[in-house]
Amino acid sequence: MTTLDELFASRIATVVPEVVGPTLAAEVRSRLDRAGYTRYALLDRGSYDVALAPDEPALAAALAGLAHQVTGRSLVLADARALRLGAGDYLLAHHDRVHDDHLVELILDLSPAGVPGADVHYRRHGKVVFQLASRPGAVSVVERGPETACHHAYVSKRHLGACVVRLVVRLRDA
Amino acid sequence: MWHLGPAWSDEPALAEAWRAAAPFPHLVFDDFVPQAALPVLLATLEDEPVERYEGDIFAFEASAPEPATDELRALRGSFAAVLAPPLSRITAKPVRRADMRAYAYRVGHYLLPHSDDQAGLGRALAFAYYLPSPEPPAGGELELFRCAVERGEIVATESARLIEPRPNRLVVFDVSDVSLHQVREVLGGLRISLAGWFYA
Repeated sequence: MTTLDELFASRIATVVPEVVGPTLAAEVRSRLDRAGYTRYALLDRGSYDVALAPDEPALAAALAGLAHQVTGRSLVLADARALRLGAGDYLLAHHDRVHDDHLVELILDLSPAGVPGADVHYRRHGKVVFQLASRPGAVSVVERGPETACHHAYVSKRHLGACVVRLVVRLRDA
Repeated sequence: MWHLGPAWSDEPALAEAWRAAAPFPHLVFDDFVPQAALPVLLATLEDEPVERYEGDIFAFEASAPEPATDELRALRGSFAAVLAPPLSRITAKPVRRADMRAYAYRVGHYLLPHSDDQAGLGRALAFAYYLPSPEPPAGGELELFRCAVERGEIVATESARLIEPRPNRLVVFDVSDVSLHQVREVLGGLRISLAGWFYA
């Protein structure tokens, strides 16, 4: 019998470090700032800035190529968004979308600096099964399923001036 | 241990205050326990083990849902026995029993906005009683939010009241799908409390 945990373990969840350097990350952040974010403030779900469908075709294509290398799947862009979290911000698990179509989700950390504790967690039944620590330049590649929920951990107010910027790209089979 | 002072004598006034409280019904009682009883209360908790709990909406230390010591079980039982009758009359929500856990919020700990309303659990009223701390906390306030609801969905939230975790203060508040509240991050010191829910 295959347990759910075994089923999840058979999927890919990995972190690729140093995918983007600080110069490119700063350029992307600058473009995102110019295009503008919208504040999300339904506080029972999240507190963050969001930019839907950011116009970053080259970066999205590069991430799709990376995802192909990691998963072996031919993938195309399903959707993308940029998130910006400051001190006191968060995005809760029940605000996450349920995925029953096994999308591949990439989260690229575009932050100017690491922020202790500002991690991304994938949980199954409340238990963390995969974690992306705050690590500028790194990208996580996760094959999503219906049993896992993703949340962006609370950014402590002890880190005044913290700025966490993440590009979230979801890919589906071509 | 639990002795209701003069603040509880005028139940019609408390019922009016409960109904009028914004953003949702709540009451705040200062000097809840006689000063002479506080050392006994603190001693009761000395042997109760706590461990760290962390989820997407919380990080804190707490005792287990079911007390490990007879002392905390007795404290919980007497709390419910003394408080449930007047709270039933004041809030018009008949309650009989309560659970109770000890909480320690250290620097960096928090409980993000949520309502305690969960189907099937039967929570009617929530409470928090703040204990004297050897290191009084900075932050750690209980924050109540006003919610706008459309077609059963929360569509807007805004901060409406901050309640400081002053020692020997009891807060009782309504449990509903719009009783959104949080414990703000503790930025210094230690916030110690007993908290839980009353049930029908």
